[in-house]
Amino acid sequence: MKALSLYELNNLVRETIAVSLTDEYWVEAELSELREVRGHCYMELIQKDLFSNTPVAKAQAKCWKSKWIGVHDKFERIAGQSLHAGLKVMLKVYPDFHEAYGFSWIVTDVNPEFTMGDMARKRLEIINKLKTDGVFDLQKDLELPMFAQRIAVVSSPNAAGYGDFCSQLENNDYGLKFYPRLFPAIMQGEGIEKSVISALDDIYKSLDYFDVVVIIRGGGATSDMSGFDTLALAENVANFPLPIITGIGHERDESVLDMVSNTRVKTPTAAAALLIEHLSDVYNRVIDAQDEIISSIVHRIEVENIRLKRLAEKIPMLFSIFKNQQISMLDKLFVEIVNTITQKVSRCTYDISILSKSLAPVAQKRLTKENYRLQLIQQKLEALDPALLLKRGYSITTFKGHVVKNASALKSGDEVETRLEKGTVKSIIK
Amino acid sequence: MAKEGFKYEEAVRQLESIVEKLENDELDIDSMSENLKKAQKLIKLCKDKLIKTDDEINNILEKDKK
Repeated sequence: MKALSLYELNNLVRETIAVSLTDEYWVEAELSELREVRGHCYMELIQKDLFSNTPVAKAQAKCWKSKWIGVHDKFERIAGQSLHAGLKVMLKVYPDFHEAYGFSWIVTDVNPEFTMGDMARKRLEIINKLKTDGVFDLQKDLELPMFAQRIAVVSSPNAAGYGDFCSQLENNDYGLKFYPRLFPAIMQGEGIEKSVISALDDIYKSLDYFDVVVIIRGGGATSDMSGFDTLALAENVANFPLPIITGIGHERDESVLDMVSNTRVKTPTAAAALLIEHLSDVYNRVIDAQDEIISSIVHRIEVENIRLKRLAEKIPMLFSIFKNQQISMLDKLFVEIVNTITQKVSRCTYDISILSKSLAPVAQKRLTKENYRLQLIQQKLEALDPALLLKRGYSITTFKGHVVKNASALKSGDEVETRLEKGTVKSIIK
Repeated sequence: MAKEGFKYEEAVRQLESIVEKLENDELDIDSMSENLKKAQKLIKLCKDKLIKTDDEINNILEKDKK
């Protein structure tokens, strides 16, 4: 059995490929590796199983320096980012087999729209997931506190944007005071997600010390936003209890991070301007309220003064009315007292005069009556006078001063006296 | 009646009570002149008080204007 040398065999493969695969092909694959060496670009393409994520196809690909400059520029211009590992790409390739270096696809063109479509689809997936979970609008429901002064800043410490942000806050026109504190994070490349989430975790630990979170990035090179379009980062931002302002500086599409944040501005400077404007609005509200309070108090005092003055002016007049009423009331009382007393006195006088008038007739009557009585008595007395009896021949015998009515009361020898009409005789009883 | 502690309302009440007694024939002739004297005195006190108060009010307000 005659064996072929490896070269011969590989040569056979090369010829077969050259004969059977003569065209250029558009291929969809994921870039799993990419590196530039001396202006040439070396890639590894991969296709993963949809469900298990294990590779079902893998191949080397190269882009020679002459093509690479065009391919690279076209992709970056249209897709807004450079080609890098992890992207889904559509490449125009033709096969190349070299006896010594093996098989490789040679890249001659790229379709950036495909990658953009894929990225957009991924973003849409993330957005839909966030909406389904009900967290997409959570940040929008938060309100920037009135006194948003304590600011947690997530930024790369050396970025020019961070410096701009701080100096603008410090030198604001209103002399307002802000207290920014940096939570350093990587703001480009692959580390974004992990680094920003860890910064947010740190802020979360001292939540009470901050009013607002600002995620800024600026002054960097061309913007590769794909790092900000991850589900984990979006979920962290959406669920964060403080309002988050993003100023991650890019003109094209909004990143998912911008969509879920409370407020989105373009640049760190714009973020600072927003915070200054917000606080100055609050400051003006306070000043307005103060002015309003002062002016309403001044007005009220004026009104009360006028009221008091009017009342005071009325007092003497009112009192003089009262005084006159009282005086006439007192006079009336006095007249009443005098009248009543006069009436009473005259009534008593009248009573007495009546009494005195009725007194004379009564006395007269009485006198007459008494006279008559006296007359009767006199007549009776006259009838009883003993002189009359003596005149008619009767005599009265007395013994020792007593009238003798019974003869047996006398004994012999007693001297009795007998009174006659004219003279008396003394006799001795026998 | 002492001038200190003089109460206008109290004085008017006393006057009214004298009138009431007179009207109800509760006063005898013996105490009548005494009550009349008392009433006259009360009325004088009341009038004096009114005049004094009037003066005071005018004085106070006069001072306030200055």
